[in-house]
Amino acid sequence: MRAWRNGLWWSFASLVVAFMLSPIVILMVFAFNRGELLSFPMTGFSFRWFADVFTRPEFVAAFENSLIVSTTVGMTATVVGTMAAMGLARLRVSISAGIMTALTVPLMVPPLMLGVMLLSYYTQWLGLRLGLSTVIISHLVFTQPFVILIVSSRMAAFDFAVVDSARDLGASSLRTFFTITLPIIASSILGAALIAMAMSMDDFLVTFFTIGGGNTLPTYMWGMLRRGVDPSINVVAVLLMLFSISASLIGFRITRYGK
Amino acid sequence: MMPFTRLRALMLAPSSAIFAVLFMMPLGYFFVLSFWRVRAYRLRPDATITQYLAVFRDYSKPMVFTFILAFTIAVVTTLVAFGYSYFCRFKAGRHGTLFVFVAVLTLFGGYLAKIYMWKIILGSSGILNTALIWLGIIDKPITVFLFSPIAVLITLVHYTLPLAILPIYGALRGVEDTPLQAARDLGAHPTRVLFDIVMPQIRLGMISSFSMTFIFCAGDYVTPLLLGGPHTSMIGIFIQSQFGLRVNAPLGAAMSFSVIALCLMLIAVVGLAVIRIFRARP
Repeated sequence: MRAWRNGLWWSFASLVVAFMLSPIVILMVFAFNRGELLSFPMTGFSFRWFADVFTRPEFVAAFENSLIVSTTVGMTATVVGTMAAMGLARLRVSISAGIMTALTVPLMVPPLMLGVMLLSYYTQWLGLRLGLSTVIISHLVFTQPFVILIVSSRMAAFDFAVVDSARDLGASSLRTFFTITLPIIASSILGAALIAMAMSMDDFLVTFFTIGGGNTLPTYMWGMLRRGVDPSINVVAVLLMLFSISASLIGFRITRYGK
Repeated sequence: MMPFTRLRALMLAPSSAIFAVLFMMPLGYFFVLSFWRVRAYRLRPDATITQYLAVFRDYSKPMVFTFILAFTIAVVTTLVAFGYSYFCRFKAGRHGTLFVFVAVLTLFGGYLAKIYMWKIILGSSGILNTALIWLGIIDKPITVFLFSPIAVLITLVHYTLPLAILPIYGALRGVEDTPLQAARDLGAHPTRVLFDIVMPQIRLGMISSFSMTFIFCAGDYVTPLLLGGPHTSMIGIFIQSQFGLRVNAPLGAAMSFSVIALCLMLIAVVGLAVIRIFRARP
């Protein structure tokens, strides 16, 4: 009876794992398929679609834009978010929790609505020209809460005695931060930066409404999707997936989230 | 405890500025905009509830449809996420972390890429059908998978599942083994242990998974557009078109606020119900 029930649990979990992983595995397989058709049976292994996509100037431009946006967003969100987490550390919980909840409200708004809201705000009220800079500032809205949450949860387990000793011995608060606090929490900050980058790289909806003309990888892929079947879509999808998965995995690993 | 000093205020300033200038102000502007109107393709400041009336008069059908579908998806996702997290915490033994790792692995990795993959998998000449024909299980492709609410359901459950697993697993990690063991030793039925000891401790995790999934699905438009077909008219598609072809930002704003308000109301009802049902029993 017990073994039977255990078997049921394991088959349920295996089904869920298969469900979660199959689209990713199938995508990887098809990106290296030689043929044009996306169906079984396969027709052989090849890198031809990878080579093909890198000869397209629009793809290369979108790729560059994605790198510019995600690194700028990753760095800015990390600095700003870490500063906020430091400002919130050691405050009374009732105060810090209140501020933190307020700062994470943007995560409660669906990305589509965040996108159209910012579009109206930029173009109708502020009269800004849309471009990469509007994309970058828009991404800060939903990436900085993650940095604040990750760094704050690290600070909750931080031993402030070392900071107090340094301060008692006469180090300035800035010096204390760079020589004591930063080296101790560096891995959490790096992890937060990678997760912010992955989120920025992956975002389609907010980018779509705030970019105006150009493309990032997701909006370029959107254009391809709307035009119809083209085996290079697989390559763009695989590249996007590899970038965001590897960045977030390393991020989760070094912040020890899964433990 | 430290006082709230000027240095602290300075450290919080950049974040607060981003929050105020790039979130609160756009939100406020968008709210004001929902009471304006458009005449001759130009925005006219006004104080009218015309747009809200239009939402409930002309768009109540897609609205109801959206909420039913989003609710179904959120319930399915939360239940599967609960089962999976429960397995990771209590049944998988030392492999638990590995199974959680799989969920983290699929957390990111392309919103569009995932939607696109489900289109490829579910299509009538797609992978599922060609594989089933190849294996000889069916001889004609099954066409009901793609361009139906089912396709939207499958895709969105897939997308939101890892997001829903993390809070529930996080809550389950805080559940201690000793009281569970004690209850079992005293002869409590497994269902009673689950409902009276485990659930009261993880109800907030369950609620946050449900809310995240529900809000995301109610506001999505790419999935229904690419996979839903003509009979899956979700409100996101109509919101998007107010900023594209139809150029009626006030109506789009009114739709957005109606969706958000209804989401919050429904989440409050579900949340209160869950908290009441799964309260710790003496």
